[in-house]
Order: sequence, then structure tokens, then C-alpha cells
Amino acid sequence: MFMASGKSRGSSERPIRVLLAKPAIDGHDRGVYVLARAFRDAGMEVIYPGLLPTPEQIVDIAIDEDVDVIAISLLNGSHMTIFKKVMELLRARHAGDVAVIGGGIIPPRDRPRLERMGVTGNYGPGTPLETIITHVRERAAEVRRRRRVA
Amino acid sequence: MTDTARAIAEGLRRGDRASIARCISIAEDEPELFSRIIKGLYRPGSMPRVIGLTGPPGCGKSTLISLIVPKLVEQGHKVGVVAVDASSPFSGGSFLGNRIRMEEALSSKHVFMRSIATRGAKGGLSVSIINAIITLASAGFDMIVVESVGSGQADTDIANISSTVLLVLSPGLGDEVQAMKAGIMEIADIFVINKAELEGSDRAAGAVRSYLSTISGGQNKDIALTSCTSRRGIDELVRLIGDHESKVNAKEFAERAFRSEVSRIAKELSSRRVDALIDGHAAAIGQMAESMDPYAAAARLLQGDIEGGRSRRPKR
Ligand SMILES: Nc1nc2c(ncn2[C@@H]2O[C@H](COP(=O)(O)OP(=O)(O)OP(=O)(O)O)[C@@H](O)[C@H]2O)c(=O)[nH]1
Ligand SMILES: [Mg+2]
Repeated sequence: MFMASGKSRGSSERPIRVLLAKPAIDGHDRGVYVLARAFRDAGMEVIYPGLLPTPEQIVDIAIDEDVDVIAISLLNGSHMTIFKKVMELLRARHAGDVAVIGGGIIPPRDRPRLERMGVTGNYGPGTPLETIITHVRERAAEVRRRRRVA
Repeated sequence: MTDTARAIAEGLRRGDRASIARCISIAEDEPELFSRIIKGLYRPGSMPRVIGLTGPPGCGKSTLISLIVPKLVEQGHKVGVVAVDASSPFSGGSFLGNRIRMEEALSSKHVFMRSIATRGAKGGLSVSIINAIITLASAGFDMIVVESVGSGQADTDIANISSTVLLVLSPGLGDEVQAMKAGIMEIADIFVINKAELEGSDRAAGAVRSYLSTISGGQNKDIALTSCTSRRGIDELVRLIGDHESKVNAKEFAERAFRSEVSRIAKELSSRRVDALIDGHAAAIGQMAESMDPYAAAARLLQGDIEGGRSRRPKR
């Protein structure tokens, strides 16, 4: 029997590119590797720049690597300032179409504020990886739809 | 030209980073659009110099690049860095981690770095690397540093598009030096023993030297000992690269690299064409199983001799 040619490489199948960033010092990077592996195993291209990128570096990398999604993981209280800075810089550099997803230890009262800034997900520790992956896929699909129209 | 193509071409001309970045993505997914963007920008004959680094995992390629690149910028070059990691054959995903060691070197506006996954490039250099090089060259980058994944065919391809090939090794890889002899050792221009502050680096250099004494032209190849931790030997390595570059026959290199690019691109385009044909005629091809052998069916497919759900008779 004849098998179809396998993967045809339509743009719908291009792997999602996600920048995984963990700014600020909190001494752990095991969690971020777990996430990186999960994204890779879900078929994504994960750009990992190491620990401690500044908001400026995050935005520079997101632009140069043409990512669909920036996933930022924070375990200390600096999330508000860092997310705010990233969102501002993205807009200033005309890269406001990149999706930004948050995670880490985020107090419930900060969530609505983050959402209003456009930072979605905002998952706490222990969130099933499947939930995070699904959300990344949804946001990436949105980004690509927008870019195709633009 | 479409608006997208025009806007991106315009951006490349200005050296706009977002345009360069998007153009490299477009090259991966939409070769036709990419070819339209590049048409008006490509300067025939102005091949950028390409420094290719290869070597076993963890030997320090990325760290070396982070130390070499600022020195190339000091010399007045605009430097593009293309670092390749393998895609998982199972998920298609990839962990692109070469930036970890490079970030410091990348903050200059004279440097543009892109991580590229092999995306199933069959045993060779993915056409994406060539596209990234073409894009960067069109945006005015005159020196491109490529970090490869270090596997047989990919290495041969790297050599074809590089004006200088560096093989990076580190102490304690005695067996690997043996294993590498067959392939990459023959095409490397400069042998780098990195982590030279560690024990065994002299022995590694000795192994390379004795290998070189057995091959023709081996005495013309350079060996550099470097240590990224103490930054020893880096200036010397940059000097050796410069020396080798000055000896490269520009015309010969341009022709060789161009041939290799054309070959990769032609293969990529024809493979896409075949995929499309097969997808478009899946049912018809299936039906041919009853009347002919697979070679005959493939020949018909390539001649465009299949239509809709039925195969046509060849016109005489
Ligand atoms: N002791 C020592 N360690 C080094 C030196 N250069 C690099 N390293 C370390 O070696 C490890 C691997 O370095 P990388 O630069 O990532 O090596 P690579 O060849 O790019 O690795 P892959 O991209 O995974 O193939 C890192 O922990 C570096 O800090 C050196 O000169 N001496
Ligand atoms: Mg590396």
C-alpha cells in the first residue's frame, strides 16, 4: 500500500518558537530545564539564553530569534516590574505581537494586573505541564494568525 | 512584489533587526516569498566570509565564538552568528542552547545571532543555514560564524560553504580524535585544542600533530591551544583565522560556496515539489500499484504524467 508522503511542510507545521527566560536571581534552574524539555518534546523550538537575562536582553533575543512566544518564569517578587518593562520594550520596538506568558510564584492579587498588561497564563508551581503547553500552543496560533494578516 | 516582500527587503537594506529575523523565518517556510525578497538585494560575487566551527559536544565552540566575535567586530566586521542544534526526530522540537555561552558577545549592534534547528535536514546541512547566511549578507554582514552540530555529512557541507574551518577539540578526547580522522580532520584548516589549561591538552595537540604529519598538506595546517577560562590563546587564534582568510582564493571560495548553495537549494526545492506532487496525487499513485512497478510510477510522477484520480497515457 502507498503511504502519503509524511510531513508536508506547510506553515501550519512550522515548529513553534518559544523563548524561555528566567530573569532575576533565585538560584534554581532545574525547573526551567523541566519546562524546556517539555516544550521540546511537544515539538517546539526552545531558545534558552541561560540565567538572568535583563528585560532588554529578553526583548532583543525575542526579536532576533523571531519567536512566537516569550515564556518568563519568576520565583521572586520582581515580576511586576520585569513584566511591565518587557511589555513596554516590546511595544517600543514594534514587537507587540509576540505573546508573553508568565509563570512562577505570583500572588493572586497580581494576576488581574498582569492579564491587563497582556501577560497570560501566570501559572503557579505544580501546574500540569500539559496545561502550560496547551496555552503556549493557543497563544502561538493567535500570533501566527495575526502575523499572516499583517 | 507583495507588500510583505517589499517591506522586508526595505528593512534588510536598512539593517533592521526585526526584518532580518523575520526574513530568516520566511526562508524556512516560504521559499518562494524568500526568493522574491532576496532578488533585488543579493549582490552577486559578494560572498561573505564564513568561519565554520565544528567539534564534539561540549568542547567549547559557543564559548570560543563568544570570545572571538568581539575581536572580529574590533577589526571592523559586521558579524553574523548562526548556531545549529539538532531537532528531535521524534517530536520535531529542539533545545536551542548555544546562546547560554554567548550572550555577552551579542549585545553589539554589529552582531546578529540566530539559533537554527536542523528540522530534519537529511544527514546534511539544513538549507536554513544557507538562507540565514544569504539574509545576513544581504543586510550587510560581511563575516558569518557558523557553529555546527558536528556530524559527518553536516561537517562536509560546512566545509563547502566555509572559507575557514575550525575543528575544536578538548583534552581527554583521544578516542574521538581517532574517530574523527576519517571525516572532518581532512577538511579542517585550523585545529583548536580548547580547555588547554586542563591536563592532557599537550597530548591532544600531539595526536593532532602526528595525524597531520601523515596527510598531504598537513604541515600547512595550524594548531591553536586556547583556554576560554583564562582567555589564553584567543588572540593567537584570531590571528590564525585572519592569516588563513588572507590566503583564501576569493574567487575559488565564492564559486565553491555558490555551487554548494545552489545544490542545497535545488535539492530542497525539488524535494518540496515531490512532496506536493505526492500529496496532490495520493489516490492516483495508490491505484498505480495494480498496473506497474514503483520505479515506473515514480518516473510518471516526475514527468507530471498523473492527473486527478487517474493516470494519463503518455502523449506520443
Ligand atoms: N575548563 C574549561 N572549560 C571550558 C572552556 N571553554 C568552555 N568551557 C566549558 O565547557 C562547557 C561547554 O561549553 P560550550 O561552549 O557550551 O561548548 P559547545 O562545544 O558549544 O557545546 P555544544 O554546543 O553543546 O556542542 C561549558 O561549561 C563551558 O563553560 C575552557 O577553555 N576551559
Ligand atoms: Mg554550543
